[in-house]
Amino acid sequence: MSAQLPANLSAETVREISDARDEPEWLLETRLEALEALDELELPDVIQTPGRRWTNLEALDFESLVDPLNQADETTRESPEGVVVLPFTEALSEYGDLIEERFGSVVDPQSNYLTALSAALFTTGTFIYVPEGVDAEDVKIRAEMNSRSLFSHTLVVTEKSSSVTILEAVESGDSVDDARYFSNLVEIDAGENSYVQYGSLQNLDEETYTYSLKRADADTYSTVNWIEGNLGSRLTRSDVETELNGEASETKIVGAFFGHDDQHLDVNARVWHKAENTTADLVTRGVLDDEARSVYEGVQDVGRDAWSTNSYQRENTLMLSDQSEADASPKLIINNHDTEASHAASVGQVDAEDLFYMVSRSIPEEQARNMLVEGFFVPVLEEIEVDEFRDDLEELIAARLR
Amino acid sequence: MATLEIKNLHARVAEEDGEQILRGVDLEVKSGEIHALMGPNGSGKSTTSKIIAGHPAYEVTDGEILLHLEDDDFGDLEIPDDARTWNLLELEPNERAALGIFLGFQYPAEIEGVTMTNFLRTALNAKIDEREELLFGEDDEEEEEEAGYDTSPMEGNVDDGEVGVAEFQKLLKEKMDLLDMDEKFMQRYLNAGFSGGEKKQNEVLQAAILEPSIAVLDEIDSGLDIDRLQDVSKGINALRDEQGTGILQITHYQRILEYVEPDHVHIMLDGKVVKSGDASLASDLEDKGYDWVREEVYEAA
Repeated sequence: MSAQLPANLSAETVREISDARDEPEWLLETRLEALEALDELELPDVIQTPGRRWTNLEALDFESLVDPLNQADETTRESPEGVVVLPFTEALSEYGDLIEERFGSVVDPQSNYLTALSAALFTTGTFIYVPEGVDAEDVKIRAEMNSRSLFSHTLVVTEKSSSVTILEAVESGDSVDDARYFSNLVEIDAGENSYVQYGSLQNLDEETYTYSLKRADADTYSTVNWIEGNLGSRLTRSDVETELNGEASETKIVGAFFGHDDQHLDVNARVWHKAENTTADLVTRGVLDDEARSVYEGVQDVGRDAWSTNSYQRENTLMLSDQSEADASPKLIINNHDTEASHAASVGQVDAEDLFYMVSRSIPEEQARNMLVEGFFVPVLEEIEVDEFRDDLEELIAARLR
Repeated sequence: MATLEIKNLHARVAEEDGEQILRGVDLEVKSGEIHALMGPNGSGKSTTSKIIAGHPAYEVTDGEILLHLEDDDFGDLEIPDDARTWNLLELEPNERAALGIFLGFQYPAEIEGVTMTNFLRTALNAKIDEREELLFGEDDEEEEEEAGYDTSPMEGNVDDGEVGVAEFQKLLKEKMDLLDMDEKFMQRYLNAGFSGGEKKQNEVLQAAILEPSIAVLDEIDSGLDIDRLQDVSKGINALRDEQGTGILQITHYQRILEYVEPDHVHIMLDGKVVKSGDASLASDLEDKGYDWVREEVYEAA
């Protein structure tokens, strides 16, 4: 393992976190096992092109970034009627058995070094439970990070024929002088015929290194739609993944990012088709200004038993500056011939003819360019079901353009 | 009454060893007049139109393009004496548009994510702002920045600006009725998924909204079926009759001239206007072809 273990990271530390939260034995065990696994685990894979490793996670200095016993956040949770939306500390007393059964069932804490670190140290996050048949809109979670490091874990469980739309927004609160680290694991266990839209908006300050892994297990006839918005952080590594395990399950992974200055974005969308009649649609739109860099990997993996699969992927990156850089790798792996699939990626600049068209109608060039950029994000905005989320994202995009 | 005056215009493609396309174009179009500019492929008609609008792909090597304005050109707006003649080549494309130059594109851009309503209202307000700045030198840059802030791709600028949302929608609806365009276009994205004919109708609609002094229409008639051609022609005639717009219509075909009768017809060959006349010149051309013009011109020379 090339990443260094912080000196203050020990079983003792993990026990202290768990004790302070009055957690059950099984969760402490899960944390300790994750801690122990750190020695063996690797950092997540990153894209490499000839002569270049795009995201250098090895350079993250966990020794100084991670301060496990001083994590602080201020999180507000709005829950519509019929849905359980609680921090784990409060949820464990009533939903202990359910949480024990599902925690880590979608995102294995020992997937990689960063997930294990997160499982060992998380102190915030949310448990969302939508009982059978409940139709709920607009769960809103707004988190403010107030410490050098913060580890968050969210578990969403939707029972049969339920539906829910969720917005999770993450920002920085109190400023800390040095670099910070934010880790965010989200797992969704989508029950039969249930519907989930999980929207995430990350706008942390640009001293923060962010790692986020979001993963869903979609049961029969269920739909899991992700909206992933990344505007903040100095470095963002984001993985959004769905396993279509149930027959006729569906997923959309919709992403938007907008980097400027020397922000680095490593954005990944992956789907595994594992059952018949499953459908996936991956759409990512990104804009880069100044010296920002982005690297995208999209994977559509069609398994042997995934008869009658529909799978589509599109990624477009728009560069506003000659100094920005982008790489995109759309990947399509097909093990069942009964598949209709497409995948495409593009990297380009604002179209000169589009710009001239608008300018020739009196619109000043900069304003015209901004309208084109805002318009570029519209396919993502149109997918968002939580109005507040759409408004926030639009506002952040507009603010960054001016 | 506005006059667009093109004098001895020479231009080439703006790149190293770029091809010389215009070799001395002379042309004058006044408000309320309809001119047809005809000529074979490659004669420089489209290039002329793009240079008038300020397309960055071309470099003017000689000659000038002037716009002369008179009192009634901007309604009640008084035009200062020192702001009556403009050298268009010194102005940005959006400034030219603000002073009343309009280019109808042969291939209009398709722009996803920007609704027609948002686009056109933004354009109209930008035109009004820019025009005041050019005429009176008002520097309201701060205000502009402020105004641009709350723009949304779905609804447009939330700030009311000169022309508010309600007022604009009424105006838009009026002009769409005139062109027999379906109201559903108002909320659609600019030209995205429009048929060829719908795009051309939309060009005329935009001219009707922006009320230019001079509209240059580049092959507005190509790809139109007869019904659409009549709608578009009606729109062009209305521009002239109701707003006093001067029209420079670039076309290959006599067909549209039956519906939009030109006061003047010009023929371009090899980067120059070689022959001008009245509407009968277009029918002569239809009968005899460009070779006839070529022979006549080069024999005379």
